[in-house]
Amino acid sequence: MKTLQANAGVLTNLEVLEFLRARGATSDPMGCLGAVAPSECKVFDHLVNTGACNQTRGAIDEFLKRCEKFKLAKAEKLNIINLRPSNQALIDPIIEYCEKRLTKDEARGIDEVQELVDLVLEVLPPPPAKPDEEMQALEETPTEKLMEEN
Amino acid sequence: MFCLSLIEHNLPLPPHLLNRPLLDAIKEELERLFLDKVISNLGLCISIYDIRTIEGGFVFPGDGSSTYKVVFRLIMFRPYVGEILCGKLKASDANGLHLSLGFFDDIKVPVHLLPLKSRMGEDGIWIWEHECGDLPMDLDEEVHFRVTKINYPPIPVEQDANANPFSPMEIIVSYFLKYALM
Repeated sequence: MKTLQANAGVLTNLEVLEFLRARGATSDPMGCLGAVAPSECKVFDHLVNTGACNQTRGAIDEFLKRCEKFKLAKAEKLNIINLRPSNQALIDPIIEYCEKRLTKDEARGIDEVQELVDLVLEVLPPPPAKPDEEMQALEETPTEKLMEEN
Repeated sequence: MFCLSLIEHNLPLPPHLLNRPLLDAIKEELERLFLDKVISNLGLCISIYDIRTIEGGFVFPGDGSSTYKVVFRLIMFRPYVGEILCGKLKASDANGLHLSLGFFDDIKVPVHLLPLKSRMGEDGIWIWEHECGDLPMDLDEEVHFRVTKINYPPIPVEQDANANPFSPMEIIVSYFLKYALM
């Protein structure tokens, strides 16, 4: 076995999810026995619970276009798309040297970190709400599908 | 989290697959060989993405199987250092925490990478002493963590009978809290 290229391109969670879905993986554990291996099923189950399951390519393209002005590195953009941080505390560890690169000047009313958070909340759809989180107070409103507890 | 790797491999195709269409047979053999296996420095193989070229088909003397040189791409799970991921807390002991991603379990938080003011409570649950109060790191809680290192330990030559199963890929991470404390 010879590795021709260790890194032939990165994939977002959405692309892996679409690939597995196209092969026939579903959330139903018994349904995907013929087409997809059990290990691929586990990956699919994990991805379906993250923010990737509601995303579309159009939303990702729009996010990439609109975050040009923040001058983020490719890895940082990928991490934001995969993780969908919904507040500043989650964005801060993703971006290196966040205080230096994204200005936060309350006197002049510029808060680039908050702009980035707002952009994420606006463009990327939220992850599916989990049933136990519905009981407690949420920071974001629950939308769309409810994932059943296994 | 995921990336593609371009691999070239000399694949012997066993004779019992010779009546199948070539592409399907090769894909099945590649899946049998690579799926759910860890390749050193490349990560955990999730899936075969596509097959680029198939060459050869020679039958070597004394061998019933035909050998093909296949160039293909694999989807590998290989988080980069500094990536933030979200997983579940599986186990907690004096050496630190043990996290899981559903399909990948060997994620460890060693004690020195826990938040500064943490102490071990009863039942082996770590507690973070924060200004706002004590926050226990309960099991089955969803946590965010940052990847600091990926280890690929070599296969041990000898193992104790009741040692933990050998893990070929270990991710060392540092801990973040689930809820934002502003």
